[in-house]
Amino acid sequence: MSGVIRTPGRQPVVVGLHSLPYSKDIGMTERHTGALAIQGALADAGLTAEDVDGICRYVWQPTTEMEMARVLGVPNLRWFGAQDYGGGAGPPTVALACAAIELGLADCIVVWRSRNRSSGGRPWAGQMLAENQDQFERPFGIVRPVDGIALLARIWMQTWGWTREDFGRVATTVRGHANRNPMAMMHHKTMTMDDYMASRMIAEPLCLFDNCLETDGALAIVLVAAERARDMDLSNKPAYVSGYALGSGPQVYAMTNYYGDDLTRSPNAFVAPELWRNTGLKPGDIDVVQIYDAFTPQVPLFFQEFGFCGEGDGTAYVASDECLTYNTSGGGLSEAYVHGFNLIVEAVRQVRGVSSTQVAEVRHCLVTGGNVVPTGAMVLSKEPW
Amino acid sequence: MSTAPPLPPKPVADRDTQPFWDAVAEHRLVVQRCDSCAAWIWQPRPICPRCHGDALTWTEVSGAGRVASWTALHPPVLAVWADKLPFVILLVELDGAPGVRMIGQLVDDAGELLRTNGDGEGIAMGAPVALRWRVDEAGQTLPAWTL
Repeated sequence: MSGVIRTPGRQPVVVGLHSLPYSKDIGMTERHTGALAIQGALADAGLTAEDVDGICRYVWQPTTEMEMARVLGVPNLRWFGAQDYGGGAGPPTVALACAAIELGLADCIVVWRSRNRSSGGRPWAGQMLAENQDQFERPFGIVRPVDGIALLARIWMQTWGWTREDFGRVATTVRGHANRNPMAMMHHKTMTMDDYMASRMIAEPLCLFDNCLETDGALAIVLVAAERARDMDLSNKPAYVSGYALGSGPQVYAMTNYYGDDLTRSPNAFVAPELWRNTGLKPGDIDVVQIYDAFTPQVPLFFQEFGFCGEGDGTAYVASDECLTYNTSGGGLSEAYVHGFNLIVEAVRQVRGVSSTQVAEVRHCLVTGGNVVPTGAMVLSKEPW
Repeated sequence: MSTAPPLPPKPVADRDTQPFWDAVAEHRLVVQRCDSCAAWIWQPRPICPRCHGDALTWTEVSGAGRVASWTALHPPVLAVWADKLPFVILLVELDGAPGVRMIGQLVDDAGELLRTNGDGEGIAMGAPVALRWRVDEAGQTLPAWTL
């Protein structure tokens, strides 16, 4: 049973969402696109900036909560904060909002991610002073996120017999979802396994199509307490937050997590049991998943670490008929890469029943953050606790 | 207008890591070891994560080790490396220092960066490697490994 404290009226509910059209050059600042995404999400919920009393963001978001509150005209913030660790920060940032709502510290919190990851350049290309853990990585060439993942992916291939075809299956599957999603950057570009195998190497054994896109995008959601949602005239179905969990594991490093004792387990191995405990759910209760997919090997690792299959069986599970439908918008690999926030928005869409790759009768959708950094996961549900 | 040559990222030492870089400048590879529980500790830090003691001694190792993993870099990379691709980066598990894994580039016997994706060198998981010293494009000495 769940060990967390639940007060039904205080269950967090996603009542609004919005995403701007993705682009290679969105032509606005991240401050501007973030504000538009939040305004859109508030409008989706029938709310205005006057209703907002909390804002949470990623640490990597250059616009602070205070700057965003000024831009939006929010009169007072009773709750604010930011979560770190790049693409691990998605569900943890929403969790920061959820915990505040559950405790009654705030009633209406917006969470957003706006990122000009295409037009704004590659963040790895400009950091020429290597401090802290970076001094033992970057001068040697481990500079891009993919470089560290490549080292781990090769270990997983060696340990469990995973192959490039296994990763190609992930890439082509989510591309198929993107082809059905009119908003996806790769809506019009199909990908076959031959296309995947022929794509150029980036960091061996990972090729171009093992990597997520480089996108300008902005997305936001609005959360309120269930007791408030009851009184709202919602034009869309609410998505209830059934629970969430964060995890690091021992001796963790962000992205270059290969110094510890067990290189076959990611921080998600520590998130998973907490999530099942905090939600009272089990893998068989989940109808569809949105898995953080900056890189293809993260997908099979997710399935085995969350107990959908046995350790090492992640790629066999993904290839099997039993595999749950995942990353229905096309994910980071083929819809857009906005630090995983599009996965959170897509989870809400699945619960609402409005995805372009809609799974039938969704009761629970699981969504994760990046599994090679300190991270988190959450479950969004059709019904309240 | 002059164009400065592109440089690699520069390691910025702090009080906890300076002894490592000081030893590197003398072509010695050192790793912290706990005086209390004898654990080998990497990356550098002020306290032993196993027994929580703060008496740690920088201890020289041979640098011999085995390939725990490896990758070969292809474009796009930093400008400084653009004409050196592909080259191999190793994750090396050090002999005699259980659990310590370091990152380094694959070099030839003289310490020069090899332009290779590893195929010609027959690189493999578990392959033994030996320590060499490479001077990078900014004049920084780095530990490196050769097959």
